[in-house]
Amino acid sequence: MHIEALDRYRFRIPRDERRGMRTDVVIYASKELIEQISKDQSLEQAMNVATLPGIVGVSLAMPDIHQGYGFPIGGVAATDLEEGVVSPGGVGFDINCGVRLVRTNLSEKDVRPRLREVVNQLFRDIPCGTGSEGPIRLSNQQLDEVLIEGARWAVRHGYGSERDAEFAEEGGCLPGADPSKVSSKAKERGRPQLGTVGSGNHFLEVQWVEQIHDEQAARVMGLELGQIAVLIHCGSRGLGHQVCTDYLAEMGAAMKRYQITLPDRQLACVPVRSPEGQAYLAAMRASANFAWANRQVILHFLRGSLEKLFGPDVRAELIYDVAHNIAKEEVHQVGGEKRRVLVHRKGATRAFPPGHRDIPAAYRAIGQPVLIPGSMGTASWVLVGTERAMQETFGSVCHGAGRLMSRTAARKGRNAREVQEKLEQQGILVRAETRDGILEEVPEAYKNVDEVIEVVHAAGLARKVARLRPMAVIKG
Amino acid sequence: MFELLEHTADIGFRVRAASAAELFARAAEALSALAFELEDVQERQPCELSAEGWDWESLMVNWLSEVLFLLDARRLILKRFQVNQISPRNLSAQAWGEPWNPERHRAKLLIKGVTYHQLVVEQRPDGWFAQVIVDI
Repeated sequence: MHIEALDRYRFRIPRDERRGMRTDVVIYASKELIEQISKDQSLEQAMNVATLPGIVGVSLAMPDIHQGYGFPIGGVAATDLEEGVVSPGGVGFDINCGVRLVRTNLSEKDVRPRLREVVNQLFRDIPCGTGSEGPIRLSNQQLDEVLIEGARWAVRHGYGSERDAEFAEEGGCLPGADPSKVSSKAKERGRPQLGTVGSGNHFLEVQWVEQIHDEQAARVMGLELGQIAVLIHCGSRGLGHQVCTDYLAEMGAAMKRYQITLPDRQLACVPVRSPEGQAYLAAMRASANFAWANRQVILHFLRGSLEKLFGPDVRAELIYDVAHNIAKEEVHQVGGEKRRVLVHRKGATRAFPPGHRDIPAAYRAIGQPVLIPGSMGTASWVLVGTERAMQETFGSVCHGAGRLMSRTAARKGRNAREVQEKLEQQGILVRAETRDGILEEVPEAYKNVDEVIEVVHAAGLARKVARLRPMAVIKG
Repeated sequence: MFELLEHTADIGFRVRAASAAELFARAAEALSALAFELEDVQERQPCELSAEGWDWESLMVNWLSEVLFLLDARRLILKRFQVNQISPRNLSAQAWGEPWNPERHRAKLLIKGVTYHQLVVEQRPDGWFAQVIVDI
């Protein structure tokens, strides 16, 4: 495969590299990262994405890119609303998987001596793990309301404040959701799961602010050195998984009608304007809203836990909430003109610049907060979006460190107890529902998050604001 | 009974069988075995299942998605499968297992969905073969 270096952090695979590619692939990476990236099939997958009908601009690969199914994870592609397609594989099974960062008025000194108590309380109050069910019982009518209103439903029912909904991407609610396009199976799968973290790489993490790189932006976000913050990572649970399953099946059959042929069936897609495309988007938005309501309810549970532990004066305020598996209609400058396009972000985070009208007024001077979780033993980052990301990547950056190792490879030769002890020596307590949940997410299974962040910062796609270190993790 | 497949972010399996019916039954067992420790599961509850597709691959994805739905939504862990009738367009089957009891059953992986990625379902000279990757 021919990969050209455009500069120190930009690489390109030209469209003539393989027949059927309609555009170039542009990869953001360092020399070291591009070597790692070339080892799996992620670049072939980014080339497959470049074959999608109606793709606008280039097929983008972020520095955390790794092999997924259909789209690579860490891939971004925009398609034309009239001529282009929508692909459920470009969003993934976990629709609106995302992260929200919560700042507290606690300091590391308040929490460190009581860390075990903290982790146990969180583990009791916040449902984690395979098949975990939340305490909220939704009627059919209420579930439909959740799908339409997202985080606003949760706020309206006492699970948080008006301010919470405002400080989420899209205000925690994508318009255009249609619960009638979500199957009864999807609703049955998701109904008991509102307010649950789930399993896999999802977690809730207590962190402390270790470094500040941009004083002004940190001040606007209310972040200071030594402060305790909590990062919540989860998505739309079984509801979103089933919506993806349902529409992959439907689109697989419909593609023949639209005479679309693709190098990978998991890329299944239909024209955005087709009835199937519109139905998927309405169901995807409903799933995204379920995910925002889910993270909002978890924030509410978190507040309850913190009050039990630290009394009524404890505060937990939402800094921001970002989606990293989603497709959204957005306006971008393409070839000198403003166009509405459908931006697929699969394992990628929106990173809008200062002044953009789609970010909360409080952040317009600094740009949208971009939240990048690392692995449980390393660090997470807060950045802000830039104008350069708008010009080059449809306002998008990476979403995490990016996996290096398969889950089986991560389990091999490791013992959960030893991993836990090693993390404890570094001051990180982990409680998980299963031993595999710990082993598969060992820090060694991931790329170095600092290296990934260095690339997006140096390439000018986002600016570093703060680095946070984990202290306590609960997961499935 | 099945071979585990390495994949950076996901996990997969390969199964082989003498017939299509047996292949689909083995694949469903492999899926259950990825999600749960099946040793502790008793075959005390029978269940009727069916799936539709438009070729062998889509039938496999839809079939395994049905097993996953019963697991995630109905909390039913199925351990043994018998496919009674099969064509590339549909299948009907029986399965045996029991409702999930967190006290007794150890969950292994939360499977989100069954993918078409690198999916193979085919008849080879030495029998039927399938390769499936699931999203976890």
